[in-house]
Amino acid sequence: MKKLTLTSVALCALLAAPALADDWRPTQPMTMVIGFAAGGSTDIQGRVLARTLEEYFGQPVNVVNQPGGGGAVALTRFMNAEPDGHTFMFGVMLGLTFSPIVTEVEYEIDDFRYAATLVGGQFGVIAAGDAPYQTFEELIEYGRENPMSYAQQLPMDQAIMMRIAEQEGLDLAIAPTGGGGGVAPLLLGGEVDFAFSGGIHSQYVPTGEMNLLAFFTRERSPFYPDVPTLMDLGYPYAMDDYRGFFLPGGTPDEIVQAFENAARFAVEHEPFVQVTVENTQHPIVFMDGAETEATLREIRTANEALMAN
Amino acid sequence: MDFSAVGAAAAEALTLASFIGIGGGVLLGYIVGVIPGLSRSVAISIAIPMTFYMSPFIAISFLIGLSKGTAAGSAVSAILLNAPGEASSAATALDGYPMAKKGKPKTALQIGLIASVLGDILATIILIFVAIPFARVALLFGPYEMAAILAFALVFIAGLSGGSIFKGLAAGGLGIFLGTIGLDNQTGLPRLTFGYTELMDGMPLIAVAIGTLALSEMFVQSEKLRYDRENMSVALKKDSSDRITWPIFRNILPTILRGTGVGTFVGALPGLGPSVGSFMSYGMAQKAAKDPETFGKGNPKGIAASESADNAVIPAALIPLFGLGIPGNVSAALLIGAFAIHGITVGPLLLRDNPELLYSIFAGMILASVIMLALGWFGLMFFAQITRVPPHVVIPIVIFFCLAGMMLQGYGTFGLIILMAFALLGYLMKKYDYSFVTFLVAFIITPMLELNLRQSIILSRGNVAILLDRPIALFFIACTALALITLIIRTFRTGKPAANAPAD
Amino acid sequence: MPRSDFWSGLAVAGFGLLALLWMIPNYAGSNPFARMPPGLVPSIGAWLMVVCGGIVAAKGLVQMLRAGIAPFTADLHWGAVAWAAWPFAYVAVAIWFMSFIKITWFGAFLIGGMLILLGERRWWMILGCSVVPVALLYVLSVYLMRVGVV
Repeated sequence: MKKLTLTSVALCALLAAPALADDWRPTQPMTMVIGFAAGGSTDIQGRVLARTLEEYFGQPVNVVNQPGGGGAVALTRFMNAEPDGHTFMFGVMLGLTFSPIVTEVEYEIDDFRYAATLVGGQFGVIAAGDAPYQTFEELIEYGRENPMSYAQQLPMDQAIMMRIAEQEGLDLAIAPTGGGGGVAPLLLGGEVDFAFSGGIHSQYVPTGEMNLLAFFTRERSPFYPDVPTLMDLGYPYAMDDYRGFFLPGGTPDEIVQAFENAARFAVEHEPFVQVTVENTQHPIVFMDGAETEATLREIRTANEALMAN
Repeated sequence: MDFSAVGAAAAEALTLASFIGIGGGVLLGYIVGVIPGLSRSVAISIAIPMTFYMSPFIAISFLIGLSKGTAAGSAVSAILLNAPGEASSAATALDGYPMAKKGKPKTALQIGLIASVLGDILATIILIFVAIPFARVALLFGPYEMAAILAFALVFIAGLSGGSIFKGLAAGGLGIFLGTIGLDNQTGLPRLTFGYTELMDGMPLIAVAIGTLALSEMFVQSEKLRYDRENMSVALKKDSSDRITWPIFRNILPTILRGTGVGTFVGALPGLGPSVGSFMSYGMAQKAAKDPETFGKGNPKGIAASESADNAVIPAALIPLFGLGIPGNVSAALLIGAFAIHGITVGPLLLRDNPELLYSIFAGMILASVIMLALGWFGLMFFAQITRVPPHVVIPIVIFFCLAGMMLQGYGTFGLIILMAFALLGYLMKKYDYSFVTFLVAFIITPMLELNLRQSIILSRGNVAILLDRPIALFFIACTALALITLIIRTFRTGKPAANAPAD
Repeated sequence: MPRSDFWSGLAVAGFGLLALLWMIPNYAGSNPFARMPPGLVPSIGAWLMVVCGGIVAAKGLVQMLRAGIAPFTADLHWGAVAWAAWPFAYVAVAIWFMSFIKITWFGAFLIGGMLILLGERRWWMILGCSVVPVALLYVLSVYLMRVGVV
């Protein structure tokens, strides 16, 4: 049981591995940095999480949005924050596992400490509900006869799809969408045949307007256990993303430990779990600090290999 | 329509708690909108933590009231200070400020308010009765159509720029160039960012808009203080003729209706946003008028056109949101977040699973419009007093709010530097008569146009014949060509556009 | 105003040329997948600036030659220039200050100082106008937006 999804399972893990004691407590109001604009799924989870932490730490937690560059702007500024635990980040791994590969950024994985992971990502392949294919295999079959089009969101899912298209002999046109909101009109309007979903499927799959064909992630989604991952289908590609607590580089161990324990508290705290699972449709995934950092490096290596050519 | 649900909805909309929630939202939005430097996104970030404590219906109505309030409030500073709080109210300032200077500030404010409220209510009614069943029509507008519409908007609005047409086009060129800064939307590689992480998402629109619209205007006015201290403030006399009259209203009503139509159309198409709507509407009013040369000199139709479209966009942006689950613009996208906090998924299912909530929200929206009218009408008496405050007192306070507003957005020192650079640019453009309106519109439209053009080229695989199946796109391409040809002919005949909107 | 047309047109065209010759080739990047390279749209903007700015400058030059106006003026009013420039310097210094101190802590002095420079002398006016907006900002940032003191 390496990564734990769903809260009930997380609870068992807590019993199995009891929290280490920590003596650190904040002495003044805290600031939670979010690298995305107000209103997005990271922001919604973060704001509810801030209230959970207020309960846990007994200090007010202010939320500061620093949007830009998929979290890169916030990470750049956060690197120089005071490592006293009063400023921390509810961060998205993509800023560390992906941005440094394609752009010049001033930070590296080693510039931060990682206290815990709380939320997992859900990258999927979607098609319109009334498309002539209902599974990824059928899509490939169909694509061998017909020219296909795909709406991308990140250069990584584009790279994966290009390789699959090459391998399977598809004639694939890949169009940019410039963000999550742009995919739905293209797919529902029939402009593209299939598309990347960073989470919008949660909204359209229940209505039957869209159909999940596969997941990019390493493990299957707990919400859709029947939908295979690309790895299950035999393609050696994966794209993962997790969200958790990041701290500035020089933060002492006891503070990191305190945040790890806070994360243990949060993944059991009803409002946070409810908002994350039911409202933003992201799975709760708890990992401790060491595992978070190891996973981060693992994903980074995989992404580097993927983007190498 | 299920009438018992409608009745229950109306009943919920008319409770005291909803009055307080919606009224509070409108009031808060109005105040934030009035203060230049604080924009709609500040209002929304204030609102999000507040909505945690509200019921879903009140939370949503509160947020919609807030959006409506900022749209109406930003007209006040546009008219009285020539410093629009939002890019979408920049068109309002073109005629509102001259009209206020001519001694009719109250009339100008009243026209702005009535146009706002009417545009708002009519668009809400369209949303309720017509749009949701027909929301799918928006899906007919794929990348080809969007690219054609955006190109048309760009050329059409460029043709509005006053003064020298070449200066207008040069300003547009600068807007296009600066609008392309940021990550390439396909490869994610940086483009023209010069190695700065902060530029990866492009020049922040808020900094550009506040800089060129509000802060630069304060520099222009502080310079004028040296020469013209006595005549600077808009005189507010006890002038009984300074109010909206029936003939004025009758005169502007067709303009309001047209503005509402334009605003609803623009709002219903995902991605275009209120600035495109208000400028398109302003341009169409000018083209349709018998006296286009009076635009920019205090023509009431200019205010009515811009404000009605600006406000109509807000409910219209909910058409694709409620009909298809696609947010029409940034504010609508934030509403998805607010719904999510309350465990509601926005989209077509809302009508099926939760009709009471949807009807309550509609009732709340109408209520918000009525509250806005009442609040605005009384607020007008109060806000018109701003004109009594001499400009040398207004200038430092507005500058302070511009700086503070940038800090509240979380862009840090970088945002302040961008703000300052664009304030300087805006000052120079106003001083040397380069149209900052063309600049701003080009800056806003270029990224969307490029993305849609790219999608079209890739998805058509370079096959132009695909356009033959796209009558809507062909229509707008024809419009663009026509607008372009008229622009060129006018340029070579006189070197001046026919329409005479001044650059400031 | 042929003189200002000439110089402003020249500046715009110059910036366009700078963009075309240096910025776009060096910083636009490349995109092997797109049929529209990333440098295309910025180049269109830059060409517009070069051509239209050039026309504005040329027109200004012709008018200057016809009217016999020199490209420079000797009777520059330094007082007027200084008056136009000081608010920019004032705000620039304020921005520099903001990288050390939060604007809430010195905002009152920022407003008050500018009020005095603009000629306000009534002490109660200065006090009221400088303290009230800052108090408003404090309430806004700390209690309403909950981002802490900015």
